[in-house]
Amino acid sequence: MVLINKAPPEVWRALENKGIVESDILLVSKCDMNRDGVWCDCWLFATAGEILCLAGSSAIVPTQYRLRDKRKIATEFKEISYDCFILSELSDFKVEELISTCRLVAKDKDGVFVLLTYMTNASKEDTHLFIKYINQIKEKGTAEVAEDEKELKAEKYCPKCGNRYADAERKICPKCMDKGKIVKRTSEFFVKYRFFIGIMVLLLVISSALGVISPYVSSGFYYDQVLNTAGEFYGELLLVLGIILVTRLLSLLNQVFSGVISTSIAAKVVYDLKKVIFSAIERLSISFFTGRQTGGLMTQVNNDANTIYWFFCDAVPYYLVNIVQIAALFIIMIIMDPFLTLLALITVPVVFLMIKWLFEYMGQLHAKRFGRSRALNSTLSDVLTGVRVVKAFSKEKEEIKRFNTQSVALAKAERNMQYFSHTAFPFAGFMLYISNIIVWGVGGWMVITGKMTYGMLVTFIAYMAMIQNPMFFFVDMMNMASDAFNAMQRLIEVMDAIPDVVEKENPVYFDNLQGRVEFKHIVFSYVKNRKVIDDVTFDVQPGEKLGIVGHTGAGKSTLANLLIRLYDVDEGEILIDGINIKDLAFRDLRNNVAIVSQETYLFAGTIAENIKYARPDASNLEIIEAAKIAGAHEFIIKLPDSYETKIGFGYKDLSGGERQRISIARAVLRDPKILIMDEATAAMDTETERRIQGALERLTVGRTTIMIAHRLSTLRDADKLIVIENGKMPESGTHLELINKKGLYFKLYKLQVEALRNIGIEG
Amino acid sequence: MADNKKSLSDIVDIIYLNAENAVFEPKNDFLTLKIKLPVTVSETGQISEEVTEEQTGEDKTEKQYDRVFLHRAFPFEEKLSYISVSDKDANEIALIKNIDDIHEDQRKYIIDELDRKYYSPEIKKILSMKERFGFSYWKVLTDTGEHTFTIQDTYRNIHKISMTHVFLTDVDGNRYDIPDLEALDHKSYKKIELYM
Repeated sequence: MVLINKAPPEVWRALENKGIVESDILLVSKCDMNRDGVWCDCWLFATAGEILCLAGSSAIVPTQYRLRDKRKIATEFKEISYDCFILSELSDFKVEELISTCRLVAKDKDGVFVLLTYMTNASKEDTHLFIKYINQIKEKGTAEVAEDEKELKAEKYCPKCGNRYADAERKICPKCMDKGKIVKRTSEFFVKYRFFIGIMVLLLVISSALGVISPYVSSGFYYDQVLNTAGEFYGELLLVLGIILVTRLLSLLNQVFSGVISTSIAAKVVYDLKKVIFSAIERLSISFFTGRQTGGLMTQVNNDANTIYWFFCDAVPYYLVNIVQIAALFIIMIIMDPFLTLLALITVPVVFLMIKWLFEYMGQLHAKRFGRSRALNSTLSDVLTGVRVVKAFSKEKEEIKRFNTQSVALAKAERNMQYFSHTAFPFAGFMLYISNIIVWGVGGWMVITGKMTYGMLVTFIAYMAMIQNPMFFFVDMMNMASDAFNAMQRLIEVMDAIPDVVEKENPVYFDNLQGRVEFKHIVFSYVKNRKVIDDVTFDVQPGEKLGIVGHTGAGKSTLANLLIRLYDVDEGEILIDGINIKDLAFRDLRNNVAIVSQETYLFAGTIAENIKYARPDASNLEIIEAAKIAGAHEFIIKLPDSYETKIGFGYKDLSGGERQRISIARAVLRDPKILIMDEATAAMDTETERRIQGALERLTVGRTTIMIAHRLSTLRDADKLIVIENGKMPESGTHLELINKKGLYFKLYKLQVEALRNIGIEG
Repeated sequence: MADNKKSLSDIVDIIYLNAENAVFEPKNDFLTLKIKLPVTVSETGQISEEVTEEQTGEDKTEKQYDRVFLHRAFPFEEKLSYISVSDKDANEIALIKNIDDIHEDQRKYIIDELDRKYYSPEIKKILSMKERFGFSYWKVLTDTGEHTFTIQDTYRNIHKISMTHVFLTDVDGNRYDIPDLEALDHKSYKKIELYM
C-alpha cells in the first residue's frame, strides 16, 4: 500500500462500515476539500478497481454513557460525502488549477470529464503523487514506491510545534530552529579573528573598570577625602586632579584604541563574509536563482554581512561587558547601601516594560514609514525608467500628482514617527529620573542625618546612571538578535544548499570532441509534475546543422539549457560523442558548447571586455575578427570609442540587435565545437540576419550547430529540423519531408509564407 | 473619442455571446456550450481551424463544446462582465460582454462556474498574526471556518486591489480575500494595518 497520507483509525473504521477491507486498499491520499467544494478531509482511496472519495471530518465524541467509565471518549469520522468511481473507466487524470483552488478531474470511457474532488493548493502536490500512483495501478494493477523515492514527499509541518514550514524543502521551522547551533556554526567564521575580538573584549573590560573607578575618584574620594577636613588627603588637590586626569586620559586612549581596532576589523570581517556568501551563491545551480528573486539575493549578501558582523563584533561583546559591569555596580551599590539601592531600582521594572512597549510601537511606525518610502521609491524609479512613455502620452501632471500623494503619505508617516520618538522617549527618560529624585531626597536626608557622606551619595548617583543607561539597549536586544539569527540562518542555508547540477567525481576529460549530439527520450520539468520536455529524441551528426522550430514557450530554449547542463534531465540521457554529459567535466562541456541565447546579457565594462569574456586571453585582433563574423564590427567601429566604449548601466545604451551581435561575437571567440543559437538573431532585421548568417556559415563548417528560431527563414540552411510543441516532438525531418507531411511545420510555414505574400513578397 | 471607439469595434474580430447565439448547459459538474456562429465568421477560418474535435453537429454554423472554461477579464472590477469563454485547449471561443446578455435561465450556470473557479475564503476576522523571520503566521476566521496559513514575504503577498480590497496569498498559492478592510473589526484591522 502506498500511503501518501496516513489515515487515522476512525477513517479506516468508517471505510470498513462501507464493506471495504483495508487489505484491498492500494493507495491512500488526502485532499482538503470535497467534491462540492466544502472544506473537510477528503480521503482518496484506490483499490485495484475503484477510487473511493470519503469526505468528512474527525470529531471527538463521547461514547455510550457507562456508569463506571464516564470519561471514555472516542474519535469518530463524521461523513459528509462519499463517492465511488470505477477505475477502469477513468483515464487522463489531471489536476486543474483554478484561481485559488484546484480540482481533480478525469475522463470517462466516452471522453466525458468527471470531477473527482476539489482541493486547495495545499493538497496539490499530494494529488499529483496520487495521479502518478493511480496510473501505476491502472497499468500494473499495483502501486509501489520506487527505491529512490523512499521519502514520498517533503514533510510540510514542523514536528515540534506543528507550524507549517514556510518552505517544505528547507525543513527549518523558524520558531523551533536550533539557535545555539546556528550561533555555533556562524561563530566558526570568527575563529580567525579571535585575537582581535579578544582585544576588543579586553578593552571593553578596561573601559568599564575605568567607568567604575572614575566616579569614585572624581566625586566620592574628592569630596570625602580631599575637600573634607576630616579626610586623609585633605587639601591635596594636585594629587587628586592628577588621578582624575590620568583616569580620564586612560579612558580616552582606550576609546580611541578600541575605535580604531573595531573599525578596521569590521571592514575585514564584512568583506570576508560577503566573499563567503557570494562564492557560495555563485557555486549554486541556476535553479537556485530562478527560485528566488535575484535582487533580494544581493541585498541579502550586503545586509546580512553587516548584520552578522554587528551581532558578533558589537552587540555580543557590549552585551557581555555590560552584564558584568552592571553586576559589579550592583554589588558595590548594595555594599554601599542596600536600602538606597532598592529605591534606585524601584522604577526600573516599570520603565523596562514601558520601553519595551515603546520599541514595539516604534517598530510598527518604522515599518509603516519603510513601506511608504519603498512605495515612493518604486514609483520614482518606475516613472524615471518609463519617462519616454510618460512624455509620449503627456502624463507628466498625473505622475507628479501620483508622486505627491505618496510623498505626502511618507511625510506623514515620518512625522508620526518623529513626534512619537520625541515625546515618548523623553517621557520614559523622565520615569527613570523619578528614581533619581527619590534617591536624591532619601540620600540627602541620610547625608544630613550623618548616615552617609556627601561623596558616597554622589558616587552612588553616578553608578545609578551607569546601570540605567544600557537599559534601552537591553530592551531592544531581543529584536536585534532575532534579525541577526535570521541573517545567520540565511547564510548557513546558502552555504549548505547543494547544487542540483554537480560535476561527477571523476569526470571524463575530452579534448578532441567531434560534436555528435544525441538526445534520448528526454523528460524534464522545472516544477515537479509539470513536464516541459516530454520524451524528446533526436541526434545531430558532427558538423550538421539542426533547426528547432516551435511556438513561443514550447520548450525550445529548455533543450538548449539542458545541453549545457544548466539543469539536469529528469529522465533519458544526453550524449555528446556517445558520452553522457553528466560524465563530462564541466570545463570540457562548457568549453566546447557555446550558447548565444535570446536574453543577451552584457556586463558593465567595455565592448572588448564583453567579447573577451568567453576567452580572456584573446588578442585584440581576434576580438575584431570575431566581431566581424558576428556582424558587430560595423557598428562598433562607428562608435567614438569603438571597442573601448563603455556599456552597461549608466553608459552607452545599445539596441537589441547590437547586443545580440556582441553576444554572438562572444560565442564566436570561444570557438566551440557545438554552437547553440537560441533566437540569436531575432532582434535583427532580416538583412543583417542574412549577412551574419553568411559569415557564420563559414564559421559553422565542421561545427555542430543547433539553431532555435520561430522565424523559419532563419533556419533555411538547416540540415534537419525538429518541431517542438508543448514539450513533445511531433515531427522531425528535412524541410521537404516536413512540408510533404503537411503537419505542424507545414502549417507554420504556410502562415509565414502567407504573411510574406500579403506584403507582396512571394515565398 | 466616441468615433474612435466605434471604429475599434468595427475592426476587431471578437465574437460576443448572447441569448441568441449561445446556449450554456451544465453537464456532470461542468459547463457545456452550444454556439451558433454567423457563417461569415466561421469562413474566415478564425475558429474552425482551432477547434474541431468537439464539433458534433455537422451544421457549419452550430458548434457544441462538451466543456468550456470561463475566465474573467477583470476579475476584481467587473465580476460579471467581460468573461472569456475558452475550449479545453485554452483557445478563446468568444466573450460574454455582460452576463445580462445571456439567457436568463442560463446565467446561474455561468455564475456557479465562476464562483467555483474564483472561490477563495473570505476573511471575517484575524485571530492572530505573528511575524517571524520573514514569514508570517496567520490564524483567521473565514466564511468557511477557521484557517491557519503561512505567508512568505508578507508585504509582497498582500495584494492591494483598491484602498479597501486586498487579498493574501499564502505559501501554497491559496488566496484569502478581504473585500472590505473597513468592515473588519478594529483588532483585526490593527493586525494587517502594518502592511497597508
